[in-house]
Amino acid sequence: MRNIFLIARREYMEQIRSRAFRLSTIGLPAVLGAVLAISYFSSLGLGTSEHLAIAAGDPALANDIRTRLLSAKNSKAIIDVVAPATPQDHATLVEQVRAKAIDGLLEVETPAGGAPAATYTSRSSGNFMTTARIKDALNDGLVSEHLTGSGMKQSDADALLKGVAIDTYQVKSTGPPVKSNAELSFWKGYVMALLLTMTTMIYGLNVARSIVQEKTSRIFEVMLATVKPSDMLAGKLVGAGAVGLTQIGIWLVAGAAILVSPFAAAALTGNFAIHFTWAECVLFPVYFLLGYLLFSSLFAGLAATCETEQELQMYMPLAAAPTWLSFSMILLIINDSNSFWSVAVSFFPPCAPIVMFLRMASQQPPAWQFAVSIGLMILSIWGTLWLSSRLYRVGILMYGKRATLPELLRWLRYS
Amino acid sequence: MPVVELVGVTKAYENKVAVHNLSLSIDAGQMFGLLGPNGAGKTSSIRMMMGITIPDTGRINLFEKPFERKSLERVGYLPEERGLYKKMKVLEQLVFFGELHGLTAEESRKRATEWAKRMEIADSLLKKTEELSKGMQQKIQFIATLLHDPGLIIMDEPFSGLDPVNAVLVEKTLLELKDQGKAILFSTHRMDQVEKLCDSICLINNGQAVLVGKVREIKATYERNRVIVEFEGSPSFLSSDEIAEAKNFSGHAEIKLKPHGNAQKLLHEAAAVASIFRFELVEPSLEEIFIETVGGKSDA
Repeated sequence: MRNIFLIARREYMEQIRSRAFRLSTIGLPAVLGAVLAISYFSSLGLGTSEHLAIAAGDPALANDIRTRLLSAKNSKAIIDVVAPATPQDHATLVEQVRAKAIDGLLEVETPAGGAPAATYTSRSSGNFMTTARIKDALNDGLVSEHLTGSGMKQSDADALLKGVAIDTYQVKSTGPPVKSNAELSFWKGYVMALLLTMTTMIYGLNVARSIVQEKTSRIFEVMLATVKPSDMLAGKLVGAGAVGLTQIGIWLVAGAAILVSPFAAAALTGNFAIHFTWAECVLFPVYFLLGYLLFSSLFAGLAATCETEQELQMYMPLAAAPTWLSFSMILLIINDSNSFWSVAVSFFPPCAPIVMFLRMASQQPPAWQFAVSIGLMILSIWGTLWLSSRLYRVGILMYGKRATLPELLRWLRYS
Repeated sequence: MPVVELVGVTKAYENKVAVHNLSLSIDAGQMFGLLGPNGAGKTSSIRMMMGITIPDTGRINLFEKPFERKSLERVGYLPEERGLYKKMKVLEQLVFFGELHGLTAEESRKRATEWAKRMEIADSLLKKTEELSKGMQQKIQFIATLLHDPGLIIMDEPFSGLDPVNAVLVEKTLLELKDQGKAILFSTHRMDQVEKLCDSICLINNGQAVLVGKVREIKATYERNRVIVEFEGSPSFLSSDEIAEAKNFSGHAEIKLKPHGNAQKLLHEAAAVASIFRFELVEPSLEEIFIETVGGKSDA
């Protein structure tokens, strides 16, 4: 036990003092924040400063669509109207799109007695934000024209088309329903899942990289003269895990300090109010620890079979696959966080930490589901440790070439 | 009583027998040389003594008890594959190894400082290991092996990477430790050092002990048929019928006589053509015994 502590302390001190730790502690949330901020602010301004042309047979409809597009939030668009448009206008306007004089051309036809038809011509095929904005303005314009044509006042038609905002409330197990913001809840869960993924993978791979480096520096034989391989592995896992917990602790404390600051109090109100529950604060480090132990114990065994860090890279898809699987289920989880597949994947140990936090973003899963997922993770950690410790105790003394699969199977039998 | 004892130890890997039925013992206050060509089974034998690998058959006793990990606290081991934590400072590293061997941090620090002075690296204690030369790192490893005052010291190639000055320093230290009653086992390819330092040797070839015993007794079993001659004049006597093999280094000749070759006759022949300053009949060197015994198969 003393040796495990000494090895863990050495590992902890070395990593804590490293530049990589300082950079990731400050850099990871900063990069994540920057990415989210950039995507948020860029989404506000997307497609709003374009120069468009609307060509239609009906000037009133064309002008109505123009007004709707210009009244969109943050719109800086320039919109020309050509109505009534002729076939020659079509050719000229398409040529203007090609010559980059305008960014896009909306053509609307409203044949008497027939269904309206519209086309949008631009140089880019991927600007779905602009297309969606134009579609909304076009549909509203057509409905408005139809309603006013049927005798409704323009102001009534506009009021009808404005839509109704819905306030959302969430019912908790006790107490009255609380006001909720589904979008913000989702982003909170998403960010927590992302942080969990990054930390478990970073620290899991740190253990693997450290084993390969120690193997390269030939320190193992010196250590094995006094320490059992299992103690060495345990010390390494505990040390690197403690570094991860320290980093999460720093983030939690810094996050709490920011949330209670006067600036945050002013900024994070109303729709932007973020609340962390006790369950989230407790489960985040718990799932980090479990996810970290699962990844690091698996990679410790694999790293012991490698000669170089390049060889270790070969196993990276094994770490990335559960993350891909978990994040590919986001839509399913948002739609129904209690569906069979959402629950099943949250029980699958490699995906459990991420999927559980994505599920918690919509609705708190029942306690028994946490118990099952944590229990299954502990079982799988035990199994992985059993396997890895066998690979580790033979692999760390094997030099020269990467072990083949039959050799790995033989190593398992030796132990 | 033996500090370490191997009795009929065998270890096989896959299709190769690394060590076969090896027996040896080392007493307190004895310096023991484990010799053999590369791949002979020296490191495998040492790893079994350290419990890094387990023998398939046979038994290993440490400090008069069957092997147990607890006994390793009294063993200092310098493996062939050296390794240190590159990013750690030298003193921190030595304290860490001392603590692993059961010392307190304070005691480790005190001993590390004393040893650093003794091994002339006191100025480097606060430097990172990666900043030091290979020879300096070798000395740090040497200190780490001895910090906890082990009763048994096992060193695999302790002189590799050391310049002549530091090699002498290590030799002197080992002799002092021997005088203090420590049992010392080391493997090396440097036969001159074995001859100078070791009381006993075990020569291993293909996993088997082919020569075991006290250096003096082993050498005594070989015929005194080597002649060292220092001369001035014609070297024509080197083609004498009494000589099986001769090496002439301009005025210094090393001669191997034929079986039953007559040294007195050779001396007369030499004196007839050259002035002789030295004519000495000697035993074969350990190097010659080594080469003769392993049949020139060494790839060392």
